[in-house]
Amino acid sequence: MPNDARPSRFAISLDAYAVALALVLALLVRLNLLPPIKW
Amino acid sequence: MAATTTTPFRSLDGFIGLGRRIAALIPGLLLLAAVGYAGKFIEQSIGAYNKARHIPFPNIEYVLWAIVLGLIIANTIGIPRIFQAGVVTYEFWLKAGIVLLGSRFLLGDVLHLGGISLLLVAVAITLSLTFMHILGRAFKLKPKLTSLLAVGSSICGVSAIIAAKPAIGADDEDASYAIAAILALGAISLFTFPLIGHTLHLSDKAYGLWAGLAVDNTAEATAAGALYSDAAGKVAVLAKTTRNALIGFIVLGYALYWSSRGQAQAIGNKAIFLWSKFPRFVLGFLLISLLATLGFFTKPQLISLANLSRWAFLLTFAGVGLRTNLRELGKQGWRPFAVGAIGEIFIALLTLALVYGADRYLYL
Repeated sequence: MPNDARPSRFAISLDAYAVALALVLALLVRLNLLPPIKW
Repeated sequence: MAATTTTPFRSLDGFIGLGRRIAALIPGLLLLAAVGYAGKFIEQSIGAYNKARHIPFPNIEYVLWAIVLGLIIANTIGIPRIFQAGVVTYEFWLKAGIVLLGSRFLLGDVLHLGGISLLLVAVAITLSLTFMHILGRAFKLKPKLTSLLAVGSSICGVSAIIAAKPAIGADDEDASYAIAAILALGAISLFTFPLIGHTLHLSDKAYGLWAGLAVDNTAEATAAGALYSDAAGKVAVLAKTTRNALIGFIVLGYALYWSSRGQAQAIGNKAIFLWSKFPRFVLGFLLISLLATLGFFTKPQLISLANLSRWAFLLTFAGVGLRTNLRELGKQGWRPFAVGAIGEIFIALLTLALVYGADRYLYL
């Protein structure tokens, strides 16, 4: 069974953690606490 | 008293446990980064070589290289156990990347394209659910497996199947079959969709909308869009996110159907059920989009956020290749795969026709 089929409890907290990380990164960028990110 | 003396030890144990779990992710994360970066390096190297020698060879995006490298590793030497925990995090990076991508959309664009997507999704869902059920009956699949395949192929892939499985009381085997079929078809779409898009000379917006509506799993939809162009990738993510937001409603409909037949648990509070199935990253995406619309970020900061989103997607695309086990997919039997494949072709053609129509009459 693929790994994606893990219980949904993990999937829900995964969403919350992903949103939290993205918001923290956005805040760090906004406060100029991260150097400009290049690609 | 006992509680006060044991709490610090319990907290310390918990802290050490968390530290161990995070440490267990590091090898897999490094593998994702190495495969993704190798894909980016190959794209840049081939581009520079062709440019220096004036060879008119079309640019092959890092997305494809990362997926192909991952596929080769996973299906030849395999993924040693030490890397597996970290490799699974590709879905986490996908969701973080989508939230950050919100910075590249003004809320007006989201509402406009999201509105069109919603309309097209509603039409496509109705027709494809009906078609999948007819197909499932014709191929004599178990009814709950048909329900899972229908949810997975018409709404949004693996997450929809995982959300629907406990709600309709389907067994693990059915979910495993449906997930395998959806993943195999998603992998095929990565190679066929860009070719069809280029053959039909679809605009970035039309192609992105098509990929977002027709490719089932979020990671593959994002990759299929990005393989066409950066702009198409953005639109594909937006259309797919709109589909994801509808998971709760469709799963609720199926749960009510199966519980009315006495084959699944009854649903208590419908609002709580909907909220429990709603993908939270959609809210994060909308929040960042709202902040960008209100001018919360400067232009260089918006560029930084867009690049952070690209780095997150780089890890995702490496994970898409690394977690695809072709032998496992082959073991699942031909019937669910045949139903999935015929259904997917139908949905792909249907959504292509809808997008063509929308592009012509709704001026995407």
